[in-house]
Amino acid sequence: MPLTIPKPILLLPKVPSVLVVGLLAAQFFFLQIGHGPEPKCTLNVERPHYSTSLKEIRNFDAIKLNITVDCNVPQKYSEITSSIQKIRNNREALAHRFQVIRRVPEVKFPNLVVIQDLYSECPLGVWGTYKGEAKGYAMLESGKKFPLEGDSGKYMAVDCSIGAQ
Amino acid sequence: MSYFEECLTSGGLRFQEERRALYKYLLEINNDFYVSQANLLLDKGTITRSIANGEATYFLKNRKVDYSARKLDSAEIYSELRDIKLTRLRFYNIRKLQRFFAQCDVDVISNFPLPGPNPQEGSGYGFNAKPFYTVAYYANGQNLFVGLMKKIRTTDREMLTKLRTL
Repeated sequence: MPLTIPKPILLLPKVPSVLVVGLLAAQFFFLQIGHGPEPKCTLNVERPHYSTSLKEIRNFDAIKLNITVDCNVPQKYSEITSSIQKIRNNREALAHRFQVIRRVPEVKFPNLVVIQDLYSECPLGVWGTYKGEAKGYAMLESGKKFPLEGDSGKYMAVDCSIGAQ
Repeated sequence: MSYFEECLTSGGLRFQEERRALYKYLLEINNDFYVSQANLLLDKGTITRSIANGEATYFLKNRKVDYSARKLDSAEIYSELRDIKLTRLRFYNIRKLQRFFAQCDVDVISNFPLPGPNPQEGSGYGFNAKPFYTVAYYANGQNLFVGLMKKIRTTDREMLTKLRTL
């Protein structure tokens, strides 16, 4: 007598596969909207340079340091501690430490903070090699702090005797 | 043009030492004015006034004062810029507010100077995170005792003399 093995009843999907894919896509889409991009900020420290504008306007010889903080999300403000380092006797030395600056971005450009008012008086006729350093944080609109740190790269020459010409 | 008038037109083009001297000078010449402004703020909860090319509005809420600022011809308002906590003692709060007002006036002058030949540096609204009346300002990241010593030693005599000269 032949043996009859009963056919297994396969569970058939009750939900069409197109709908499953559609739901997964919708879930991914809504999650993206809810969280937005991962916050990222870039600190850019420009190399210190002789300020010709301060010389022209106020007849002062000064080294200027420009800093920008660019985020991919809006920021409330950036708080930055900065300094200018110089090479003295073949060693790195602090030339000037600026006060801690807090700057609120322009309403039109909430992701970008531009700091352009850091001046350090330079001794006339002195030629030196300088580097800018900065650290701090960007306070994002979400309330998160994004830590920042950077420098202007290589030591570059700044000629404070320009003003005497 | 006096040195004080120069300060009102050159805004952000000032060294830190000059801004500090300006703070001391404003505190000196506006002593009575700041007292009346402090009383007004403590009674009414809000005050608005202009200096240089800017306008500052001060708000008192839950024993905390903060301020917002805008350029006189602009609708862009920068809010909750700097704040100060008050105590239960009115006379002490008035003293604290005098210093706070002088500090904020320097902030507004630096960001919104009077129109003049000098182009304004930077964008947005910037200020010292540590106000001039604190030891932390003088310490500038160092030990607070060092800051206290620096505060005692810093007189800004030369610049104050320039500011007092009309």
